[in-house]
Amino acid sequence: MHPSSFEYFAPTKMEEALELLSKYGEDAKIMSGGQSLIPLLKLRIASFPYVIDISGVQGLNRITENKEFLEIGALTTISSIADSELIKKRYQILHEAAGQIADPLIRNRGTIGGNISHGDPSNDIPAVAIALKANLEVIGKEGKRIVEAHSFVTDSFTNVLKVGEILNKIRIPVAPDNSGGCYIKQKKSAGDFSVAAIAVQLSLHDNDSVKSAGIGLTSVAPKPTRAMKAERFLEGKKINDSVVREAAKIVVSESDPSTDFYGSSEFKRKVLGKIAEEAINLSFERATVR
Amino acid sequence: MSTIKIRTKVNGKDVEAEVEPRTLLVHFLREELNLTGTHVGCDTSNCGACTVLIDGQAVKSCTVLAAQANGKEITTIEGLSRNGELHPLQKAFLEKHGLQCGYCTSGMILTSFWLLKKNKDPSEEEIRKNLSGNLCRCTGYQSIVESVKYAAQLMNEKEVEREMAVR
Amino acid sequence: MSELKWGDRELAYDSSAFVRGSGHYVDDIKLPGMIHMSVLRSPYARARILSLKGGMSSKDLGARMASVGEGASPEAGLSIEPVFATGFVNYVGEPVAAVFADDRYKSTDLLESIEVDYEPLEPVVTIDDALKLGPIHSGRKDNIMVETSKGTDFQDPESPIVIEDTLENDRISANPIEPRGIVTSYTDGMLNVWISTQAVHSVKEGLVESLGISPESVRVMQTDTGGGFGSKGGLYPEYVMASYASMKFGKPVKWIETRREHLASTNPGRGVRGKVKIFAERNGRINGLKGEVTIDAGAYDSGIASFSPGFVAMQMTGPYSIEKAFVVARALFTNKVPQGPYRGAGRPEASFFIERMMDMLADELAMDPADLRLLNMSDKPFVSPMGLKIDAARPFFEGAVRELEYRRESKMSRGVGLSFFVLVPAVYPGESARIIVKDGKVSVWLGGNSHGQGHEIFVKKLINEELQVPEELVTLYRGDTGMTKTGVGTWGSRSAIVAGAAIVAVCKKIKQEVEKEFGSYSVRSLLSSGYDEFINNELKMPLNSFGANLATVEIEKMGRVRVKKCAAYYDVGRALNRDMVIGQIQGGMAQGIGQTLHEGLFYNKEGQLITSSISDAGVPLAEDLPNFIVNIVENRSFLPHGAKGLGEAPTVGVPTALTRAIESVSGKRLRRTPVTPEELMK
Repeated sequence: MHPSSFEYFAPTKMEEALELLSKYGEDAKIMSGGQSLIPLLKLRIASFPYVIDISGVQGLNRITENKEFLEIGALTTISSIADSELIKKRYQILHEAAGQIADPLIRNRGTIGGNISHGDPSNDIPAVAIALKANLEVIGKEGKRIVEAHSFVTDSFTNVLKVGEILNKIRIPVAPDNSGGCYIKQKKSAGDFSVAAIAVQLSLHDNDSVKSAGIGLTSVAPKPTRAMKAERFLEGKKINDSVVREAAKIVVSESDPSTDFYGSSEFKRKVLGKIAEEAINLSFERATVR
Repeated sequence: MSTIKIRTKVNGKDVEAEVEPRTLLVHFLREELNLTGTHVGCDTSNCGACTVLIDGQAVKSCTVLAAQANGKEITTIEGLSRNGELHPLQKAFLEKHGLQCGYCTSGMILTSFWLLKKNKDPSEEEIRKNLSGNLCRCTGYQSIVESVKYAAQLMNEKEVEREMAVR
Repeated sequence: MSELKWGDRELAYDSSAFVRGSGHYVDDIKLPGMIHMSVLRSPYARARILSLKGGMSSKDLGARMASVGEGASPEAGLSIEPVFATGFVNYVGEPVAAVFADDRYKSTDLLESIEVDYEPLEPVVTIDDALKLGPIHSGRKDNIMVETSKGTDFQDPESPIVIEDTLENDRISANPIEPRGIVTSYTDGMLNVWISTQAVHSVKEGLVESLGISPESVRVMQTDTGGGFGSKGGLYPEYVMASYASMKFGKPVKWIETRREHLASTNPGRGVRGKVKIFAERNGRINGLKGEVTIDAGAYDSGIASFSPGFVAMQMTGPYSIEKAFVVARALFTNKVPQGPYRGAGRPEASFFIERMMDMLADELAMDPADLRLLNMSDKPFVSPMGLKIDAARPFFEGAVRELEYRRESKMSRGVGLSFFVLVPAVYPGESARIIVKDGKVSVWLGGNSHGQGHEIFVKKLINEELQVPEELVTLYRGDTGMTKTGVGTWGSRSAIVAGAAIVAVCKKIKQEVEKEFGSYSVRSLLSSGYDEFINNELKMPLNSFGANLATVEIEKMGRVRVKKCAAYYDVGRALNRDMVIGQIQGGMAQGIGQTLHEGLFYNKEGQLITSSISDAGVPLAEDLPNFIVNIVENRSFLPHGAKGLGEAPTVGVPTALTRAIESVSGKRLRRTPVTPEELMK
């Protein structure tokens, strides 16, 4: 298929990008890897008079860690995240999610910023960002602001960005010792989006009770969802079978899946319940490996 | 209708062109440069028949704007053989029958090329996983997996030969 | 040939070109002045067209489609598809209008300039709708397109065991990786057509009939064809439009299908329901079979839809000697894209019905499914009450049980599925071939066209055997109606049989010519002179063969099935090239797994197609599939070159074996494909 016409800009500096954005306002669309946007343009599901390709903006494709945060530039490709030794070693949940996104060729171009900003409830990174309690640094002409991951995507394909703003960085609090997490994605067959997926990150007190829990859900609601009640339920508790079962039930109660091509809402709830149990158990196991 | 100017290197040759911003890379390669070995099989970034290398990375050229190739190096299937000699992957796909209708072949070979650069001796599972962005409807993939394995062997043998020659 | 500068080498089948990226597919064609066509399609399953402004439409071209190609039926006539929707639209994706521009971006832009007003009508979406609701076509009393029966009705025997069930295969899109496409060019009274096809002659006949032009004024030439699997065997509306447009505008016209168009508008296969009743003794011996076959034929009679019911019914006793059988079969109109052939085309459906019933009967009697099957086979050739002719089945299938290590497998694990089948290739009415010997080289054309099967390999081998010509001097060219007067096509597991036989026959003719000229035959004499022989080699007798499959599976968490073992044991006749045979079988087995686990076309209640990508349609990935175990048995056929059919064997045998394997592990009775994780998790 073939996109409608648009004007194209490829700024190399953030200031230029922001200038263009403020000039064209709602008529402009930011593109990074283009792996979600270009298919929409091709099918003419969406069209924009101006496309601002920020993939050439310098300095936004780095993965760094300081004392407080793991910082990932919005233009970092999914495959660089999947291949990063640092992330593999210390942020297994993110490593796991990145390696399961679409296919290797799409991962080579798709970016973490795009995966989050696009707002597709089936995209995987938002749930992981929620579970990791990430801060999303947003940049605009007036400066930077921080948005918590769970409030970034506001509805299907809609996010918190105001006209003129761009997602700049993903900042993930450094994982303390005694913490662990995982991403479990249930698919019908290898090439599909998920039927349901869950990101769980736990950190534990010395006595192995849960100090903090982060739980994000993919594909089971109109937007990526934080299972906040389940998080609160787990906090302070020791992990055992009945706690896990109860937590999974709460997770399911926080979902709102629709019946579609991938299965009925009932089926999706069932799948979510099972992977929730599995994910909490696995996260706990990982958090207790010292 | 506005156009923009792009400069790229395609299969080692410098290319300068005026393109409409909406032109997809695959159409630029096929229509403007007559590199018709890169194919279009779907509209939804699933099939990988359009796979090319951009700066060495395997990507789907139906999901890249020609404009985005500005300043980059592109390799298509036509750029794989050297002085008329087939690349080991091309030889292996022929010898092990890693193709039937031929339509997915360019994409399969280029993804495998990228894979073998990262991993000189991939397991069967790694090959199958890395080909998950490339669809074949004819072969059932078994002969493709065998072709990639065989190519890895040919390439490793070649490398050993080269090392021996240097010594 | 109006400016297409493809030389001899470019017109030959040559798979080495594909690894270099130098194939010659239809979208690779560029002609001076060529324009691109885009097609506006119906967004409704059923609606009245109140007004239509812009583009080329039925006002310009009121033609109807011709029934040609696989399963073509001269009776198809009343409800045959118009080239452009006329007054009404009857499926999502039905062509309404066409637009033309310099390139495909601009022609896509132009689609937005067409204005259509529709009045939506209540659609008939499912088989049940079709039986319940009024007719979709005015002038008909119901939605029954065709009704027929096979066998003779009989009074229910007083059998102690009677089992009855309803089974179904969902529709499947063929999804070759190359979509359909055509280039047409009309110059000096000649319509030249280049096309991705399984059958240049079907396309030609179709254009001649639909456009009402003379056969002498059309030449259809095949380009490299990136798979077909049944979907590229006949005529489609776009071919008529593009031909008409090039005649009208005096410019070459190109149309290339998008994948979404393929899913919505290219004839899919399957979509068949079977209700089967089996009467049996307590010892397992089957006394009789009664059945009803219902085909979800879609909105128009594409030809095969009226052929399919009888074809499915005829095969419903499988390889078993069931003395009494009677099947009523019908095709129903629904507001969906017309059904067409997909690899197997009626064979897998019939096999699914009988094999599922055999497994159910085995369960009912607590018998081993293999023993039950063998018990119902004969040591002698058998002709079923519905006219299916088979050889002595039992000896072959005893061999299958042994070679597939069924006894060992079923001891080792619970999840073993076994299937037996008889493959009925589309031998009728034979095939054509032409050989030209000139300048020491042998050039060959076939009436039916390779689209990935590697016909050139067996052609070279057979010519070498018949005429002792070294293989490197033989070239097989792509299909071209300018080079063969008549021809049929590549489908229905037929090519090695019919094209092979045609090659042998034309070689014999040439040999006689050489003998006439030189007194005796030698390859040197042959190559020193010139010959041009064409033969339309009729073959009309059945040439059925047996096959068996074994599958084992594991059900992973949440209903995901992992295929552990997928094995075949097929009688392929004489394997003309072992590698090609095995390649065909592996590819077919992948499609069999696809049908069972992943593939389907899903419509909602409004008749909207929910499946929106090749991934949604479930085409399997490398990761989804195991390595295959292929055992071939080479029992030569009665033909001089010994070949039998094989291309569709795996799509017949795999779904049944695999479904049984899943059933055994899950303990859930399975009645339809695809088998979904949701169903297994219930």
